[in-house]
Amino acid sequence: MSPSMIKIAPLALVVVGSLGLGGCATKGFVREQVGAVNQRVDALDSRLQATDGTAKQALAEAQAASGQAQQNAQRLDQLGARVDSVEQQQQAAQRKRPRN
Amino acid sequence: MKKVLLAVAGTALMAAIPLRAAEIAPAEASAEKVGKEARGAMVRSADASRVADWVAASGDNRKLPYIIIDKKAAALFLFDSKGKVLGAGPVLIGKMLGDDATPGVGAKSLAEIGPAEKTTPAGRFLAKFGVAAGRTRVLWVDYATSVALHPIPPGNPKERRRARMLSPTIEDNRITFGCINVPKALYGSKISPLFGKKGGYVYILPDIKPMEAVFPRLYVHGAMN
Repeated sequence: MSPSMIKIAPLALVVVGSLGLGGCATKGFVREQVGAVNQRVDALDSRLQATDGTAKQALAEAQAASGQAQQNAQRLDQLGARVDSVEQQQQAAQRKRPRN
Repeated sequence: MKKVLLAVAGTALMAAIPLRAAEIAPAEASAEKVGKEARGAMVRSADASRVADWVAASGDNRKLPYIIIDKKAAALFLFDSKGKVLGAGPVLIGKMLGDDATPGVGAKSLAEIGPAEKTTPAGRFLAKFGVAAGRTRVLWVDYATSVALHPIPPGNPKERRRARMLSPTIEDNRITFGCINVPKALYGSKISPLFGKKGGYVYILPDIKPMEAVFPRLYVHGAMN
């Protein structure tokens, strides 16, 4: 090690030390920050649970509606067939007469 | 020589017999026969020829058989899908002169149709067989206005439709409610088998309207020729 380097070393140590200490946060500051984040996470969690509940309810209702729609469609098919049958009978009874 | 003279005399005699028969025939023939003979040689009018030429040249019939009804001549001309004439005959048509059908006339019963409504509409129609009242099968020309083409229906004997069809005059062929009555033989032997599968076109020439107003494509055909 050169004599000049020996002179500079303590100064550099002081500079590095002061910089390092300046970058550290206090425990209180960290707790404060973590606490705020935790609150936000809790709020989001409760909102998520509420949304999840709503979604499950919506799914259940949609499934019920789908089942009902299917039943309605089946009934419509049955009714449609009956209407067609009645219409055909009516047409057969009232066929058009040409103007001779 | 004798043989030759005898042969000549025999030939002359044979030729004279049909001539005589032909002279006697009209006098002895019934009114129906006269009508048939008169109608047998249907002459196509200039208008009918014009439409026939246009349809054949343009392929307007879309490879389907077709009929041309000449209302003024009370005549029908039947063509196959290639435009070859297959037959002709007299027709009975709507009692009134006119080229349009009254709106709603198709929904009326025969008793409800007024005198002025008894027209056979002019135009180009895609005709198809279908079932009509009484489970009868008719060739519907215009279903909406209940115009069909069929043989003379059993109806009022006072109308003398058969006699009217067979008579050589045209005026008395206007007797129907709008339908087109055709000879039974022509309907059964030619029209029915020809139109039975996919139908065909019926071109009804106008009474009053100009030809081009009823068949606008005649303008094009006229311009091209």
